[in-house]
Amino acid sequence: MSSEAAAAASPPFVMDTAFWTATTIFLLAYAVIVSEKIHKTIVAVFGAGLMLVLKILHQHEAFHIEEFGIDWNVIFLLISMMVIINLMRPTGVFEYIAIKSAKWGKGEPFRIMAIFAVVTAVLSAFLDNVTTVLLITPVTLLIADALEVDPIPYLISCALASNIGGTATLIGDPPNIMIASKAQLNFMDFIYHLAPIVVVMMAFYIFAIKLIWGRKMNTKEELKKRIMAMDENEAIKDPVMLKKSLFVLAVVLTGFVFHGVLHFQPATIALFGAGLLLLLSKTHEPHRILAEVEWPTIFFFMGLFIIVGGVVKVGLIKWMSLQILDLTQGNLFATSMVIMWFSAFASTIVDNIPYVATMNPLVIDMAKHLWPNLSGIQLLQHPDLMPIWWSLALGACLGGNGSAIGASANVIVVGMSEKAGKRISFMKFMAYGMPIMIMTVIVSTIYVWLRYYVMKI
Amino acid sequence: MKAKDLMIPIQDYLRPDNILKEAVNLLKTAKRGEERIGVKGLPVLDEKGKLVGMLSMRDILKAVFPFYMSMMTLGDFTWDGMVESIAKKSSNRKVGELMSKVVISVDEQASLMECVDHMVKHNIKRLPVINKEGKVAGMLYERDVFFAITKAMLEENNGDGK
Repeated sequence: MSSEAAAAASPPFVMDTAFWTATTIFLLAYAVIVSEKIHKTIVAVFGAGLMLVLKILHQHEAFHIEEFGIDWNVIFLLISMMVIINLMRPTGVFEYIAIKSAKWGKGEPFRIMAIFAVVTAVLSAFLDNVTTVLLITPVTLLIADALEVDPIPYLISCALASNIGGTATLIGDPPNIMIASKAQLNFMDFIYHLAPIVVVMMAFYIFAIKLIWGRKMNTKEELKKRIMAMDENEAIKDPVMLKKSLFVLAVVLTGFVFHGVLHFQPATIALFGAGLLLLLSKTHEPHRILAEVEWPTIFFFMGLFIIVGGVVKVGLIKWMSLQILDLTQGNLFATSMVIMWFSAFASTIVDNIPYVATMNPLVIDMAKHLWPNLSGIQLLQHPDLMPIWWSLALGACLGGNGSAIGASANVIVVGMSEKAGKRISFMKFMAYGMPIMIMTVIVSTIYVWLRYYVMKI
Repeated sequence: MKAKDLMIPIQDYLRPDNILKEAVNLLKTAKRGEERIGVKGLPVLDEKGKLVGMLSMRDILKAVFPFYMSMMTLGDFTWDGMVESIAKKSSNRKVGELMSKVVISVDEQASLMECVDHMVKHNIKRLPVINKEGKVAGMLYERDVFFAITKAMLEENNGDGK
């Protein structure tokens, strides 16, 4: 059997007590996270504690060794971007953008919906999806109330657009941040390889929502006047801080564009930006800004990195990677398709953060098996491996649209809708989300096949 | 002086399944002392007379305030008639879902300072007073505590003046 042959060819690992202990912790932690019986952050932190106490990993490995431990690049990139957004929020810039968008829509319900979808996708490409949704949906609900139309289509289309838009850049969605860090890919790699197809997907998406909701959205002429009477300039509460924020944002985005050339990690750029904006804000209460960082998410990441590090060390991930190669018989096109579609459906059920945390080392183990003589960037960015990274990113990010629990943005939107007195059932969300998810993954499949296996560019 | 000496024995109250329309009507016409001039808040009692919540003017304001407006600064983008139209839609909602469910109450035997403690710390204007049977015996109003304090101050000043 080829799996046995493959296992024999790679450095052996033993299924000893440590192997089974680590595997049990890993599987139990994932099962409890999916069941939602205990908050996922607590599960991750406790699981990480067990990995250390049971000596699967040494503390030094968990804290300081990249292969097994916490990926500080991801952690500091997330924290820094959160600090920048938290400082920008009170300026009113996000209210400004949303009201301006509604006015571009001239009070036409579907036009507004389409514009909001595009704005959400663009914002999601540069901010984290949850933040974007939290910034857009309150205005969406206000607009729906003003036009006296059903807010549910607006809310669902906003969540779906944020997951599509987030796929476009390195900083758009956590899976991309994690993949970039592991594979040492830079911001422009994502712009070059993922952004173009996300633009195409958005065009398909707008067409799809036009078919689904276009004809059902009607309002009266006098209600449109409510929208047109809004003055977006009133949204800006702190013009001085807004100028400072836009300056820092420009510095950070320029830094992202050139970080590969300048040999900076993305986290370096973001941390510098956060520090600079904190300084320029002249705040005397940094604790208030820092307290608004989503610490549960940050600790969820840290715990997961350690749990996954444990199963990497004992060889479980290597074993899994050999199973995939065995399944696809070493055909890399088949492997990237399996990874894309499996990732899409896995991310529909499981949070894509733990999923990608597991898949990253798996892809690397697979590469080590395929090209045992290579190491470093030559291994991580082997031309034949690149389509697999992009397939993983596309599958994991877009898969979030498949169900109401597939992505944090969806969970937020469903919660907001319920608060507004309009329940979106699990099945209702899926009725819209799943077809959109499948449509975007089909587009991705054609794209990866054409670009990397036919045209090879 | 104790809570029961200052409280006003309970006269009007709401049930959780009252609708908001009934509730505001009672708030408008409830007895204050001997006159029906309205109150700013009422206790909500279940069938057994047990306290389950309070409904005050602020809860009514919250009932017409869309939750999404508290998430961002959107006051500048609202329109004429928005409050009135939400008020009409909310008039059939149940008291039980809009009342403040966490209610601070005091025992009949509570000292006046304990009552002041609650009022200052939690910004409460009316405190339900609970009797030995666990039922609401009356309401202690900020105003009446204020009168008790005034009385103490003026008495002392009188003493000094002589």
